[in-house]
Amino acid sequence: MRRWLWRYWRLLTRPSLHFSLGFLTLGGFIAGVLFWGGFNTALEATNTQQFCVSCHEMERNPLQEMQDTIHYSNRSGVRAQCADCHVPHDWTHKMARKMEASKEVWGWVFGSIRTEEQFEAKRRVLAEREWARLKANDSLECRNCHEFEHMDFTQQSSRASRAHSTSLASGEATCIDCHKGIAHELPDMGPDFQAGSPGLPGVDSWVAHLERD
Amino acid sequence: MKLTRREFAKANALAVAAATAGMTAPAGASNLITNAELTRIAWNKAPCRFCGVGCSVMVGTYDGRIVATHGDNQAEVNRGLNCVKGYFLSKILYGEDRLRQPLLRKRNGVYDKDGDFEPVSWDEALDLMADKFKAAIREHGPESVAMLGSGQWTIWEGYAASKLFKAGLRSNNIDPNARHCMASAVFAFMRAFGSDEPMGVYDDIEHANAFVLWGSNMAEMHPVLWTRVTDRRLSRPDTRVAVLSTYEHRSFDLADIPMVMHPNADVVILNYIANHIIQSGRVDRDFVDSHTNFVRAVDDIGYGLRDEDPRQQAAANADDPNRWTEMSFDEFAEHVADFTLERAARESGVTESRLEQLAELYADPDVKVMSFWTMGVNQHTRGVWVNNLIYNLHLLTGKISEPGNSPFSLTGQPSACGTAREVGTFAHRLPADRVVTNPEHRRFAEEVWKLPEGTIPERVGFHAVEQSRRLRDGDIKVYWTQVCNNMQAGPNTQQETLPGWRNPEAFVIVSDIYPTVSAQSADLILPAAGWVEKEGAFGNSERRTQFFHQLVEAPGEARSDLWQLVEFSKRIRVDEVWPEALLERAPEYRDKTLFELLYANGQVDRFPLADMEEGYVNREAEDFGFYIQKGLFEEYARFGRGKGKDLDDFDVYHRVRGKRWPVVNGEETLWRYREGFDPYVQPGTGVQFYAKPDDRALIFAVPDEPAPERPDDDYPFWLCTGRVLEHWHTGSMTRRVPELHRAVPEALLYLHPEDAREQGIRRGSEVRVVSRRGEVRLRAETRGRVRPPRGLVYVPFFDANRLINNLVLDATDPISKQTDFKKCAVRLELVSLA
Amino acid sequence: MKWLAIASAMVALAMLGMGVADEGRDASAPDGLRPGGTVGQSLPAPPMAGQSRESGREVLNYPEQPPVIPHNIRDYQVDLRSNRCLTCHSRENAVDAGAPMVSITHFMDRDKQVLAAVSPDRYFCTQCHVPQTDASPIVGNTFRTVDEVLTEALEREGGGQ
Repeated sequence: MRRWLWRYWRLLTRPSLHFSLGFLTLGGFIAGVLFWGGFNTALEATNTQQFCVSCHEMERNPLQEMQDTIHYSNRSGVRAQCADCHVPHDWTHKMARKMEASKEVWGWVFGSIRTEEQFEAKRRVLAEREWARLKANDSLECRNCHEFEHMDFTQQSSRASRAHSTSLASGEATCIDCHKGIAHELPDMGPDFQAGSPGLPGVDSWVAHLERD
Repeated sequence: MKLTRREFAKANALAVAAATAGMTAPAGASNLITNAELTRIAWNKAPCRFCGVGCSVMVGTYDGRIVATHGDNQAEVNRGLNCVKGYFLSKILYGEDRLRQPLLRKRNGVYDKDGDFEPVSWDEALDLMADKFKAAIREHGPESVAMLGSGQWTIWEGYAASKLFKAGLRSNNIDPNARHCMASAVFAFMRAFGSDEPMGVYDDIEHANAFVLWGSNMAEMHPVLWTRVTDRRLSRPDTRVAVLSTYEHRSFDLADIPMVMHPNADVVILNYIANHIIQSGRVDRDFVDSHTNFVRAVDDIGYGLRDEDPRQQAAANADDPNRWTEMSFDEFAEHVADFTLERAARESGVTESRLEQLAELYADPDVKVMSFWTMGVNQHTRGVWVNNLIYNLHLLTGKISEPGNSPFSLTGQPSACGTAREVGTFAHRLPADRVVTNPEHRRFAEEVWKLPEGTIPERVGFHAVEQSRRLRDGDIKVYWTQVCNNMQAGPNTQQETLPGWRNPEAFVIVSDIYPTVSAQSADLILPAAGWVEKEGAFGNSERRTQFFHQLVEAPGEARSDLWQLVEFSKRIRVDEVWPEALLERAPEYRDKTLFELLYANGQVDRFPLADMEEGYVNREAEDFGFYIQKGLFEEYARFGRGKGKDLDDFDVYHRVRGKRWPVVNGEETLWRYREGFDPYVQPGTGVQFYAKPDDRALIFAVPDEPAPERPDDDYPFWLCTGRVLEHWHTGSMTRRVPELHRAVPEALLYLHPEDAREQGIRRGSEVRVVSRRGEVRLRAETRGRVRPPRGLVYVPFFDANRLINNLVLDATDPISKQTDFKKCAVRLELVSLA
Repeated sequence: MKWLAIASAMVALAMLGMGVADEGRDASAPDGLRPGGTVGQSLPAPPMAGQSRESGREVLNYPEQPPVIPHNIRDYQVDLRSNRCLTCHSRENAVDAGAPMVSITHFMDRDKQVLAAVSPDRYFCTQCHVPQTDASPIVGNTFRTVDEVLTEALEREGGGQ
């Protein structure tokens, strides 16, 4: 076994006897492009909605309830896919998220969320993880489409423009602080089930609905 | 400051003038309505006009008009709460197109089936009716006349109508629209317990720790009862709510165990649960051994279709489906052993874990479980069976007739129980659980009514669906409907109901308060009084009888159904409709009118006008000269007293917020068949199903049989029809209330977004929904309050412009003759994308 | 030949249609919620009524009428897990949100005992409160509020004196 490995190591470390340096450079470049392209294509494929819902637990719950919402079906047809909100758009963060996602593949293979009941049992954990992530990155995925710079406060309702021009502008609050439960149903808020208690969306989030529809 | 009436009037006139002129009146002037004497609204209780929950409302009247309604704080049922329909009751009588005078189709001044409606006097209308009835009976016999009434009739209206038909005209062809609503529940009660209506009461809700909804969307259809369930669930977090339906609806919002099953899979699920109870050793053997018998129902019973239908001819026991044979517990256990968890999950599409959780609610002896069901169970070609299967679970575990353990069949109309069932306005019934096929029962009724033996015919009359068929076939010549809208509510409209009503052979009379599609299809329209425009009584789902006074006058010449029935009876002489043989047995009746025979009979006319409570008008009593409502009620009450259906004295009901029968010595009964609660139970028995000859309830073994019509390549979708919260039944009242109409202005086609996508349909697309029987055009809704699974679409039936019953197959439960409005096959055709 | 066949089929169909009309199925009738004389027909479905984003609050018809909802409630979650309506209409949040607080009756249980929070039996808001589309009424309603009836009665009396 050791001998065998050693032979291959030698083969790889020895200078080339048969191919020109130019060929190797160019070939390596092309191979690199192909590999990189392929990798990215494959990675992009994991960003499509079909891929997301290919796990059966995703078909029944999160997608179905999202189909009702303004983020899926609306006047102009501009809509968000799973990845738009759940996967960062820049490369570094995307890779980090994809590595994290391997855990979900594990969960899928070994069936930690197989049924609707299991999903419901974990809904709060899953939701809180997403809220925490968005809180930490200052609602980056929201801002990919909803850019603060380009909000026309005069087109917003008074309550929305008040919240956006103060708390959001000052950085005191970020999108997700108020806009929870807008694309998926809220989980059971358990013992702190009380309007206004931590974890529930802020009072202004409903105003946003009036705005958009 | 004391204001004179004149000053007050002037100030208000000023305010009105100012408002009209677009000015704001000075504060002093617009602020004056504080004089208690002048602003006192008269408040009176009345049960709500809509569903079977029987909420009590306070009706505010001023100057002869209803000006406000709100929930009655003193009523045990609802304690001040109403649903959105109940809160808007004030407006239901004020639609602009109220019918104010009789309308008859005429051409050249005489009645003509193809003529146009013209106003006529009551005399002309009633005389013509009497002629038509007499001619039909003379030429074609009493079976050629028929009536369709309602679970919205007041108790005395139903009683007067039933008496008019079964005794006066000697035709059992009288049926209530409640046939479409809870006939299956009635038959199952009679089969299992020998007496109709629930053993429990609404108080069970506050004692139960599990609720199971079998084909019931209480959140929308019985909203105030749902508030009580919600209260229990949210204030006691260990409470469990299981909801089973063929689509997701608003009741799922409270569900701990939500289950969407394939249509017709309920028989398998219920048999599985019985199997689970037996297999896990949780049968209450003491209870089962001393209070129940096991029986096997006959199978292959057909679908209540027309006789010539091949599905009907193929069925072995279609002619006599309501039979059974005895069996042992072991045989029953063997029968349900086929219904395994794995099979139930496979055939219903519900996960095994949820089915098991559901089964445990019944099996676990520590859980007090209340089962609710309505149309998902009753409007079912195996509706009687499914009702019985639910009782099976409660009987096997002994979870019945005690606080919190309660199989509870809900009703959809305000007096489905009080009138249709208790008075017995069905084609086979007489008051208080009696039937026309039983000679003793007929004799008893004839004695109470002071009639010669043989007056009441023995043959069961035509049920609601049969009436439509017989009209089309030309067998029914005169047809009268009151307080119902069967052109919109009955099945298979274009092939059966409409051709039947428009059959040149038939003369069709519709009594209603508005020009419904039924009225539009009639030959004579009679304007009716509604709700508190007459003195009335309803009986709700928990056996509670509630009274109300007449509070306002009906508009124009509109008259109550009771007035119409009684006034009509004055125009027919006994010898014009009775055969000679019968007349010979009672020659003294020969020259009398039906009015004298039935109403001025020394009993119904026993109470003078002086008996009426002061301060209330009573149009019928004043017109007939005696307190007719009291007379009818007291005569009727004789049927139930001593038979476990006892009612209190008439006057008591005007004072209290209803009472639940049997009322013995003034005391109402909460849990029937249970010692300590029910005065009819013999001491020492604990539980006694005393309406059965051996005091034992029946547990039924039934198989699984397919639906009569299932989706195929040509018609690939299941169609389920039903209601929405904001509109009641055919919407004739609620759609005239602006707020309710704006909330839900039209019926929509609810379907799954993926089905829509596959069919090229968007939300808002116009779609033609087609079945083998007709079509309707609707707008598609993919994200509404109703979320059907793949392969099923849902359409409510309230919309007169979208007659969804054009599509529905007129298949019925063969035992109860109740139509299955919940499953037939349709296809969808896109008309326009937007 | 083919055309002839089609034409005769069409004539036959038209006659069939006339046959139906002759049966008097769509006999004339007064208009109600449905236009008179149309029961045998399949009517086109008008476009879905619009749900206006924000309509003005409406004056109540009488004190205990539940106010209608003057805004769109699309995607409002009200279930076992969460109640979106209360995020604005609760006592704590109403002022901040500029929304009317749920009425005091909603804090009472079945026995009219006042609770610290909204009573569970009032949890499902849409059982009583419904949003309004822009649909116009099919037939009018002549209900009059108590102020109107009162004023009329007084005017009548005043005029008589």
